[in-house]
Amino acid sequence: MTIRRDEVLHVAKLAELAVPESELERLVEQLNRIVDYVAQLDQVPADHMADPFLPGPSELTPREDVEGAVPLARSPVQLAPEFKDGFFLVPRHGAMEDAS
Amino acid sequence: MSRAAGQPGGGAALAAAETGKRLAAAQSLNATLDWSQELLDAEAARVDAMAERGPLDGIPIALKDNIVTVEQPTTCASRILEGYQSPFNATAVERLRGAGALLGIKSNMDEFAMGSSTEHSAFGRVKHPLDPTRVPGGSSGGSAALVAAGVVAASLGSETGGSVRQPASFCGVVGVKPSYGRVSRYGLVAFGSSLDCISVFGRTVEDAGRVLSVISGPDPLDATTVNRPPMPVPQPRQDLRGLTLGLPREYFPADLHQGVAAALTRTIELARELGAEIREVSLPHSAYAVPTYYIIAPAEAAANLARYDGVRYGARRVGAERDIRSLYRATRGEGFGAEVQRRILVGTYVLSAGYYDAYYRKAQRVRSLIADDFRRTFASGVDLLLTPTTPTPAFKAGEKTNDPVAMYLADIFVCPINLAGLPAVSIPAGRSEGLPIGAQLIAPSFDEERLLAAAAALERAIPAEAEVR
Repeated sequence: MTIRRDEVLHVAKLAELAVPESELERLVEQLNRIVDYVAQLDQVPADHMADPFLPGPSELTPREDVEGAVPLARSPVQLAPEFKDGFFLVPRHGAMEDAS
Repeated sequence: MSRAAGQPGGGAALAAAETGKRLAAAQSLNATLDWSQELLDAEAARVDAMAERGPLDGIPIALKDNIVTVEQPTTCASRILEGYQSPFNATAVERLRGAGALLGIKSNMDEFAMGSSTEHSAFGRVKHPLDPTRVPGGSSGGSAALVAAGVVAASLGSETGGSVRQPASFCGVVGVKPSYGRVSRYGLVAFGSSLDCISVFGRTVEDAGRVLSVISGPDPLDATTVNRPPMPVPQPRQDLRGLTLGLPREYFPADLHQGVAAALTRTIELARELGAEIREVSLPHSAYAVPTYYIIAPAEAAANLARYDGVRYGARRVGAERDIRSLYRATRGEGFGAEVQRRILVGTYVLSAGYYDAYYRKAQRVRSLIADDFRRTFASGVDLLLTPTTPTPAFKAGEKTNDPVAMYLADIFVCPINLAGLPAVSIPAGRSEGLPIGAQLIAPSFDEERLLAAAAALERAIPAEAEVR
């Protein structure tokens, strides 16, 4: 399979990654190399397939869904650039000039 | 295991002073990302003030920089987390502190644990302690190099696809990966959640076993830990009588590096002399482990690393268009290095509409086949499997950086074990042209005690620093 340049740009957009133009050609080549390599799983016969893997031993059981606070060594004020009235302030969705 | 490596006895303050000297002497390896004599001294004061001496009293232990600590930054060797300070300690860190270990050293690594050479650190590559032109392996290369250089007696790393056993093999130290569910991952920065395991380096199997014993056991803060008591410190066996060791033929290919093949031939012979029954077995689907891993791990990484966007986590960069999406893209584009970006893109691609079944679902099915091969083999009466840890000794820096697939193949004998969630250990098995070779033992899930007891018996019999021919 060949991944085209426009597909790499599309995937980069989905992944929220800015890819510089100067890197694009190399990235297309490397992603094709990786995807061609992993495509060898097609050689595993379809009738040879098992159920999808579930990680962890069978005795693994989900814990009770109870609320609990983990003590933190730093207050919220120290964890983010801006914290006000109990809220973390983040950039405004949309034009950021409005917020600045 | 003594307080300062090679310096038995003395208070923790002495261990802190000696460790500081050794860290300063080993600075050229670039194996650390953060340490200071002040912090080591403060740690020594804390340890000496403990009411009771713990099982790791005053033992210096380095931590891979993806294990979060309150007192020091945790960067995952990434620009995006530069200066990040966690508001809590990882459970493994709390347990080491409670056992009296001397902490305060954060070790260099491949960025977000993605790599097999520790060349993908945003803060420069780690050098191999025996040959600075070579790599120490990865992604826990800093933790491996610090043990190999005699700076610390033990260290923590993490494994997603072999990132402790592979560098242990390259550096000539012991590396133990526990069963999935044995050690809490609370405070281990997530990469591939169905695979990640905190793992241990030691100079000997016994040292590594003691550290693993301390950090193992259930944790209410990590729902993936299994409700079993902590692993007891394994009692070393004198011999291997009564054990059947399987040699999977797929792990001994005809083109195996001559030095690796010779070291394994000698190890098998020594195992036989110690009384083990040796049996050839087959794990046919292990041949597909690397491609399976390089679908599943990037897919999980793409999801786990979505949180580094400059809002939730990460040093914020404002994009050219000054809106929220360009902020995300600029933050992530500038903050992540090339290998992390590649894996995020591959992961996003294999999970995207139209490709999910062809890649991700298929890889999960092949993963089941890989795990079934191990289950069937152990059920047939094989107690442990013996393989080379890596196909070659440590390679030259820069040799594989332009070909990601060539780099991935360095993990060909270790990553099947992560996919199956099994415990395994790499022990030094001799040297080829001066470079260490590792032998790997693999056990059924939660059979670490037998695994480490057998590894200790073999370790005693192998002249690990002798050349093999």
